[in-house]
Amino acid sequence: VTGFFIRRLLQAIVVLLLVTMIVFILLRSIPGNVAIAILGPSAYRNPEAVAQFNAQYGFDKPWYTQYLQWLGHLLQGNLGYSWNLNQSVASLLSTHLPKTVALVGISTLIALIIAIPIGLWQAVRRNKPVDYIFTGVSFLFYAAPSFFVGTVLILLFADTWHIFAAEAPQGGLWNCLTDWRAMTLPVVTLTLVTFALFSRYMRSSVLDNIAEDYIRTARAKGVPGRRVLFRHVLRNSLIPIATLLGLSLPGIMAGALITESVFNFQGMGYLFYQQAQKQDYPTLLGIVVVIAVATVVGSLIADILYAILDPRVRYVSA
Amino acid sequence: VLTAAACGSSGSGSGSNGAGSGGTKVQGGTATYALPPNTVPNYIFPFNSSTYFSTANSQYFQYLMYRPLYWFGNGASPTLNTSVSVADEPVFDGNKVTINMKGWKWSNGETITAQNVVFWIHMMQAVGATDWGDFTPGYFPDNVSDVTAVSPTELTMEMKKSYNHTWFTYNQLSMITPMPKAWDRTASGPSDCTNNVSDCSAVYTYLDSQSKEQTSWASSPIWSVVDGPWKLQSYNASGNSTFVPNDKYSGPVKPTLAEFKELPFTTESAEYNVLQAGGNQIDVGYLPTTDAPATSNPSEASTNPVTGYTLNPLYEWSINYFPINLNSTTGNGPVNRQLYFRQALQYLVNQAAIIKGPLHGYGYPTVGPVGTIPATDYLSSTGKQGDPFPFSVDKAKELLTEHGWDVKPNGISTCSDPAKCGEGVKQGQQLEFTMPYATGTGWIEEMVAQLQSNATLAGIKLNVEGKPFNQVTAIGAGNCVVVKSSCDWDMVLWGGGWSFSPDYYPSGETLFEGGSTANSSGFDDQQNNTLINETLTTNSLDPLYQWQDYLAPKLPESWLPNGVYELTEVVNNLQGVIPQSSTGQLNPENWYFTK
Repeated sequence: VTGFFIRRLLQAIVVLLLVTMIVFILLRSIPGNVAIAILGPSAYRNPEAVAQFNAQYGFDKPWYTQYLQWLGHLLQGNLGYSWNLNQSVASLLSTHLPKTVALVGISTLIALIIAIPIGLWQAVRRNKPVDYIFTGVSFLFYAAPSFFVGTVLILLFADTWHIFAAEAPQGGLWNCLTDWRAMTLPVVTLTLVTFALFSRYMRSSVLDNIAEDYIRTARAKGVPGRRVLFRHVLRNSLIPIATLLGLSLPGIMAGALITESVFNFQGMGYLFYQQAQKQDYPTLLGIVVVIAVATVVGSLIADILYAILDPRVRYVSA
Repeated sequence: VLTAAACGSSGSGSGSNGAGSGGTKVQGGTATYALPPNTVPNYIFPFNSSTYFSTANSQYFQYLMYRPLYWFGNGASPTLNTSVSVADEPVFDGNKVTINMKGWKWSNGETITAQNVVFWIHMMQAVGATDWGDFTPGYFPDNVSDVTAVSPTELTMEMKKSYNHTWFTYNQLSMITPMPKAWDRTASGPSDCTNNVSDCSAVYTYLDSQSKEQTSWASSPIWSVVDGPWKLQSYNASGNSTFVPNDKYSGPVKPTLAEFKELPFTTESAEYNVLQAGGNQIDVGYLPTTDAPATSNPSEASTNPVTGYTLNPLYEWSINYFPINLNSTTGNGPVNRQLYFRQALQYLVNQAAIIKGPLHGYGYPTVGPVGTIPATDYLSSTGKQGDPFPFSVDKAKELLTEHGWDVKPNGISTCSDPAKCGEGVKQGQQLEFTMPYATGTGWIEEMVAQLQSNATLAGIKLNVEGKPFNQVTAIGAGNCVVVKSSCDWDMVLWGGGWSFSPDYYPSGETLFEGGSTANSSGFDDQQNNTLINETLTTNSLDPLYQWQDYLAPKLPESWLPNGVYELTEVVNNLQGVIPQSSTGQLNPENWYFTK
């Protein structure tokens, strides 16, 4: 087990290095004058300030020197400084990341709680009206862009019926967790567009498992149908969901960007989008590091869950 | 300064008018102001480097607490407002300027003195070239030979030559913000930048570092010394600010509100959602142009889709244009340098249709280097006659045909007679150009599509490329030859042109003078330079008129409509917001609720 973790950790480090290097090169390849993008067009009147900026932040050096410099700072826990926002990247992440994690975490959890039983039910009632109805609903939300779902929810629940607020909580993490009138619509939006994916996978997974020999054997041995479903089918059907969950976490975080934008939610997705427009390299790199870490950790969690759910994996690992 | 096509709001400078119906004035209350989308104040020290030189930092934040020496904005008029200024109107005597302080107070009880003004000027002399975002070599403070605080209430300056009094006041003294003695320090203790320029660099470094400590702004002993009508009570990095009245404010109008709050928004739509949802979460907000009811009068909205609010269009004191790079190295430089070509292209810019269509009626044509809105004495009688190049495909084709081009509508015109096409234009050269433009603003994107379509009618192919605003300005907002950036572009369109702030007098030295770094197109004309110099040195509007009448048809840039800056929505029981300031100033001290 230790060897497995060490191998995975080394892989993770290599992946992180490659991701940051590729992103670093891509960012440096964006056309335009970095100093002008950061300092603003008025700096055109001030070439001295541009030169000073380039020298101070190493933009006059080759990309690999800049990358190694950034990596050195990263290893010391220094993610850099956002000139645009006049804050350290660590400070920005500490205010924006928890809010996005709360939004994504809560909506993903709710999506799973809804999607797993629905997927199971659909599989059991395959080709029955209930299956068709939920398939239609899933396809509808899977196809609907989150900005559309969010806008419709605002029109109905905020503008028309005044049940929920049209914007997300404006304070920090505590506000997000306690102000449910403001937090409901962003969470519901992200839940609706996420649950469809999980429920479709769940349905498909359950259908695969129901057709397996071990299920037929269990039934032949007289195991009650409900017990077969929950003890055998459900557990095995969750394996691909665990993998999907681990790998889709970064995607859901990225998807939160649109939801954050619609609901005036000052989270990390929206921060990334805005700073990408302004070529705020330190912030973009800092967020990429977080997303890369989330991907690697998500993948690791998926593997661990896989091992818990499927004893054969544990035996192979051992 | 160069400006984006953005959405922003500001309050009045007079406070004499209100929105909606009248009523009994209520003391207290909290007014919430919606910041323009993706606009967050992030720098508190009122000495902004290029990075932090923005309306969000100056007008929407710093000016509430730290007042500039001279205030520009009389209602909607972009003129000097002496009643709100910290000093009396400057007195000119030859090359000498005398500034008399009014004796107003800082919040710590100290008087705002001439030394406080010298403190700022010394800072400018020490670090202005690198750390003042509006620094232009040769102008302030380079054009001043001596600055002396004669007494606590009197300051004199010796100008290197006799300047136009209005220009010197509006474009040079307009930059100054007095700084309190409490700021003249470093981390190790008090310093003396007020008397020694050599001390100022260290003081700047300290104050800049304090401005990076955003979490402590509200409690900082440095930033809590204010002379404006407001003090910062709370601020978070997302841009939520709360201001409370400064009891020691010496100005003529003290705040009536108990609190003034600023709310950040991710997008126009997010703000509009909140506005429509009701609940009075926003007292002063805005309507996205795409949701605006069409109007035939740019200054008035026909109807308002938001109930309980008054809709008021705000126009910024600015001009709008896109540069045509005369120094282009794509091969199109010789074509761009031909006046007839620029005139042909200008005939294809249908300003009236852009205003009627993408802008829903909320816009005014740009007719030259001086803004048309708000109405000022600066615009010549010729300028007041309207668009000098009204849309005409026939005139565009005629100009091209006369100059040796084989015009192919809906195709690409080619030069068939190089002798007529102009110097450097080759036989068979095609009228095909690249044009990066800023994405993200609906009406700008519609305008570009319309321009591209119109150009094809005269066989001009514009290959438009949507890019983020910062990338577009990084490509073409500067004179590529002067700033030594790549000249490998033909035209760029960032959508916002130039805002006359803090250069309120539209004399053009920073934008149109040959060799100026902000002169994006690289236009250089001796007569133009001479006329600009006359506007700077003559105490009369005549040189300004002569200059703009000379320059407008030369098309140093291609003129575009000046679109509405913001369609402001003011809750009906809040008075004093309208008329709004065209210079972007925010004056919530004039606001009050009624019942």
